[in-house]
Amino acid sequence: MVFAAIALAQAGEEGIPVTDPLVIAKCGACHTRDDRGNMQRISWERTTPEGWQEALKRMILADGVSLTPPEARSIVRYLSASHGLAPEEAKPVMYDAERRIHVETSIPNDNVGHACARCHSFARSLSWRRSPDDWRQLAEMHVTRLKLPPNDEAVAFLAKAAPLHAPEWTAWSARSRTPNVAGRWLLTASILGHGKYYGEMQVDPAGPAEEGEFTTNVHLTSVNDGSSLVRTGRIAVYGASAWRGRSKGVSQGNQSASAAADDLNSEVREVLWIAPDQSTAEGRWFWGQYQEFGFDVKLRRPSAGPALLVVDGSSLKAGSQTNRMRLIGDHLPARVTPADLDFGPGVTVRRIVSSTPSEVIAEVDAASDAALGKRDVSLLHSVAPGAVAIYDRVDYIKVVPDSALAAFGDLRHGVGYQQFEAIGYQRGPDGKAHTADDVELGPLGPNDAAWSIEVFYAAPASSTDYVGKISTTGFFTPATDSPNNNFDVWVVATAKNEKDKNGKPLVGKGYLVVTVPTYTLGGRRYVRDLDRWIDEGPEEK
Amino acid sequence: MKHVLLTLLTIAAGFLAMPRAADAHHGYAAFDTTATVTFQGTVTDFHFTNPHCVVEFDVTDDKGQVQNWKGELTSSAHLAPRGWTATSIEPGDQLAITGYRAKNGAPSIWITKIKMPDGKELKIDTAN
Repeated sequence: MVFAAIALAQAGEEGIPVTDPLVIAKCGACHTRDDRGNMQRISWERTTPEGWQEALKRMILADGVSLTPPEARSIVRYLSASHGLAPEEAKPVMYDAERRIHVETSIPNDNVGHACARCHSFARSLSWRRSPDDWRQLAEMHVTRLKLPPNDEAVAFLAKAAPLHAPEWTAWSARSRTPNVAGRWLLTASILGHGKYYGEMQVDPAGPAEEGEFTTNVHLTSVNDGSSLVRTGRIAVYGASAWRGRSKGVSQGNQSASAAADDLNSEVREVLWIAPDQSTAEGRWFWGQYQEFGFDVKLRRPSAGPALLVVDGSSLKAGSQTNRMRLIGDHLPARVTPADLDFGPGVTVRRIVSSTPSEVIAEVDAASDAALGKRDVSLLHSVAPGAVAIYDRVDYIKVVPDSALAAFGDLRHGVGYQQFEAIGYQRGPDGKAHTADDVELGPLGPNDAAWSIEVFYAAPASSTDYVGKISTTGFFTPATDSPNNNFDVWVVATAKNEKDKNGKPLVGKGYLVVTVPTYTLGGRRYVRDLDRWIDEGPEEK
Repeated sequence: MKHVLLTLLTIAAGFLAMPRAADAHHGYAAFDTTATVTFQGTVTDFHFTNPHCVVEFDVTDDKGQVQNWKGELTSSAHLAPRGWTATSIEPGDQLAITGYRAKNGAPSIWITKIKMPDGKELKIDTAN
């Protein structure tokens, strides 16, 4: 392999021995193994399953390593466990594997940022743990292969911030075991533009010959309209905390070619982080040309007692009466009294309208002097933290995402869509809008907000169809014919009922950039990935 | 529509990949950089976001006509480390805003300087 010639002793740094026969057999020809079992480079590196997968791809494509798919999976699984990340190390960089557009705040300064985060996310760098010597070798590779300038500051930062040996890794290694995810899980999910879902997942071992692999069956119900989703899939667990797999809706087999791009039965990639105590997991199921569609998913193990999952109705206006609140959960008591429910001071439970093991409907009053802000909702000993907000008025609307990307398509690239939501906010205790204490009141539905787009620098009231259209539910679809240009666009939500202090409708704006899928410059071809441009090599003639 | 045609592309030369598409992403091609203009304006909204922060402000001309202008800054990712927040500029603020006007006559400006009513200037990173 490419680093075979770099026979460097990793002075002063204890390596992590490699014991897997397959890794030794397939990698040992180049990554020589010493008498302690340490293999060059490999023993001084740790990373996520995605990191090891990328490394293997590179070895296969660039260095001619021959692996069957089962061998590759086996190697990734072994290395993700023995040379992986502790759960506490993996969580801060999950957004990268989850394919979320994320403003990275962990970059210490522009110099380090330029070294690491111009071509890929900074999380990709922080997804690795290396010895100082190994970070230096990686930097040398960037200099020789990618013609990037040397950057000693970046090497020093990464050696300190992402060391091979860290307390989290040492602690996890001592109790290392692959999480057992089999069994029943309770599940909540939210999907931009579709609201909240709740349900359960059954996870079963795929078979004795497929250790670490599982089948999944999911039943989800929409909080908004009661519609259901049934999904089946297959997952694998890597190392300490990595749940990776695929699933699709059971109607997928009958899905026509014209199915909507945002069809919730679409096949998704599942990327979840399993908590160290294995009682919860969370992450994203995503799909789309730019992975722009996704379920934000939370799993928790059921308990013998009642568990509140979702409260339908995320806000209560102070001074309002007979508000119907629906509490959705698991193992809820057959008989519930108003005294069993607690919405905090100033909110009185008038009566229980109905109750089943999975749902309680209550009628509540919010006093005019009830304290404003988020509050927990509890049913006996089960608590839904911050489930309901008390508010006096909607102060402003926020369009989410407030910064987004979409893309025109071409013959080789699908269209990149974008779903928006308009969220109502109350200004919070400090009386100022757009500060940390503002209270989220929940999304405005199609009956509450109208959507439009404004193209930057365009003449007022001119058509915007050449860029795209936005639906009454905030779903942006780029124009079919690419104008071969990029556009900056305001996505505007105008409230139909809520007004500002001057009596004008509240307006929220999100910043959307609609890009071409690819372009050429200086004889090279660039293709848009999640939120950046990737050099794909010389332009095709 | 003649938007800045991927002026961000000029940044790409010499790099394996371009900066994130969500970062400040276009240059001054849409703006007349040969001269600056200064407006006295009343802020109607401030968007502290990527790829550009945007100040919306009303300008009243000599005849008393009010026109709403849009002033672009670099990204919030660039301004946040320099102390900016979503409330650095608020609706109702009276500002002197200097910058380059849009070439096509649209009421848009690339902001190079913002002076508060007390005479203090906000620290602007003009990187695009």
